[in-house]
Amino acid sequence: MEDYYQYVIVGASAAGMAAAHTIRQCDHEVSIGIFTDEMDAPYFRPLIPFLVSGKKKAADMSMIGSGPYVEKNITINTGMRVIGLNISQKQIVLTDRSTVSWDKLLLATGSHPYMPKNIDGLFTSGVFALRTLSDARQMAKYVEQTKHAIMLGGGILNLKTAFALLEKGLNVTLVVYSPEVLSQLMEPEDAFLIRKALDKAGLKIITGVNAKAVLSEKGKVKGIMLDNGSELPCQMVCIGKGVRANVNFLADSGISVNKGIIADKYAACNLPDVFTAGDVAVTYDPVSGAPMMTALWTNAVEMGRCAGKNMVGIKTIYSGTFGILNATHVADEPFVSMGTVHTNSVDYEVYRYHKNNSYRKLVFSPDGKQLIGAVFVGNIQNAGLYRYVIREKMNINHLKQNLIDHSLHYGHLLK
Amino acid sequence: MKFPMKGVIMQQPKEIFVKIDRCVGCRSCTMACAVEHSESKTLFGAISETPIPKSRVYVEWVAPDKKVPLVCRNCDEAPCMSACISGAITKNDEGILITDMDKCIGCWTCVMVCPYGVIGRHLETHKAYRCDRCPDRDIPACVEACPTKALVYDTVESYSASMRKHASIEITRSDRE
Repeated sequence: MEDYYQYVIVGASAAGMAAAHTIRQCDHEVSIGIFTDEMDAPYFRPLIPFLVSGKKKAADMSMIGSGPYVEKNITINTGMRVIGLNISQKQIVLTDRSTVSWDKLLLATGSHPYMPKNIDGLFTSGVFALRTLSDARQMAKYVEQTKHAIMLGGGILNLKTAFALLEKGLNVTLVVYSPEVLSQLMEPEDAFLIRKALDKAGLKIITGVNAKAVLSEKGKVKGIMLDNGSELPCQMVCIGKGVRANVNFLADSGISVNKGIIADKYAACNLPDVFTAGDVAVTYDPVSGAPMMTALWTNAVEMGRCAGKNMVGIKTIYSGTFGILNATHVADEPFVSMGTVHTNSVDYEVYRYHKNNSYRKLVFSPDGKQLIGAVFVGNIQNAGLYRYVIREKMNINHLKQNLIDHSLHYGHLLK
Repeated sequence: MKFPMKGVIMQQPKEIFVKIDRCVGCRSCTMACAVEHSESKTLFGAISETPIPKSRVYVEWVAPDKKVPLVCRNCDEAPCMSACISGAITKNDEGILITDMDKCIGCWTCVMVCPYGVIGRHLETHKAYRCDRCPDRDIPACVEACPTKALVYDTVESYSASMRKHASIEITRSDRE
């Protein structure tokens, strides 16, 4: 292994790979080394539920050579965990205490599943928190000895995983503490079409309750106990309660951390020549200026690209952060959620429309002059234009009716 | 409406240019596109196929009466390609964005980020589709079908030269008048 690269990138997922490819596109000569503690070469993380369902093989998920990830001469060091930084020497420190030097460093270490402290028995065989390909392989194996799986949390990851398990013929129950599924991405009344589709698909959903403990027998899951006192038998439990940034290795490094790594608008850290991007980075809400972290593939790629440009000296402001930016298809129901969609607390101007199999909600600023968020369920056509209008903070006076009617097209945006 | 991509190869690539003032909204382009992307590649064959072939070019209308043909611009830093969570979208040697149908999982992230709204959702096959510049043809079907030459298939260099020539003719004509 080399002990020096001009560009060292810690983390080989969305942000790290996007940055590496951006650097390579800008400069064909520089040396780029990526370090990941995972044993697998970079892969499209959002696809791992397909490994559980058997729809895709690990090889089909590889990032190298796929999509925009086609550049050459990027060294990927797998199975190498970075345990610390030596900023004054410009070095990263690996598990075996060996060091690798850099001129510019990107910290794109991502995040790990949050394991709720208030649920007992989470470290039992049969409890999964799907994050890596390795997790997915283990889960796929465990399916063989599972009849009933219980998913804790009603987010996208758990829904996708739930469907993978349903396809394997398991009974699946989703236990959601919020009043409705997908509560991070929409309000309960926005989710009713999706809920209907989930119910129809055979997913059992219990809302408003939390798990208290995982019950086990001979070290294996045999059920869960809910906080209302009832017990549900199951052989598998999946935790989908969000993620936390991987920042432990930065203790005493001098890098400014508050839950995640603090980034400025150029994706730079508080110390020179160190940058950050992706799930691990704390960025700022472009409107309110409040610090925010998003665990979204799309944001991670965009920020990784931005960091890559800044690392090679092309000053680029990262402006892409959307707290919410999700498109997915669950139970044959497509939906898109972006921008500000939780509207109960502030006096936003909100339009809701529901007909047959489609629903949309458009959220405008309280003065009605800006589109700030949108939810589409069923018909998601031209959602990209709405994202553009939100992101550019466009003056929407002449477009407002088109926005509300969902008739906006690019012709309207031409001068 | 001209958003030519920068050429990354030696030979100048051709683009589909749109002359909005020439479009009469006849939708010959959308018809030709759907036929070109059918199994039979004939109009009568195409209309009886299942799933029904889809056009990848769109003609929109803006009040009071402007028609706007829209087709994938093959953006330089294509948002769809970066956003795709399955690596299905690549740029080929000619600078054309291609969606790999085997890799597409129908998550619609590309639809969510395309600022032109030119990526369609094929509901039967559960795949995203877009203009592929008609790989089997010298001239894309939409361009060939346009009766008013509102769609032009040309290199950036040659197209801008023709625009300059057109402008100079207009200027000399107005001088004479």
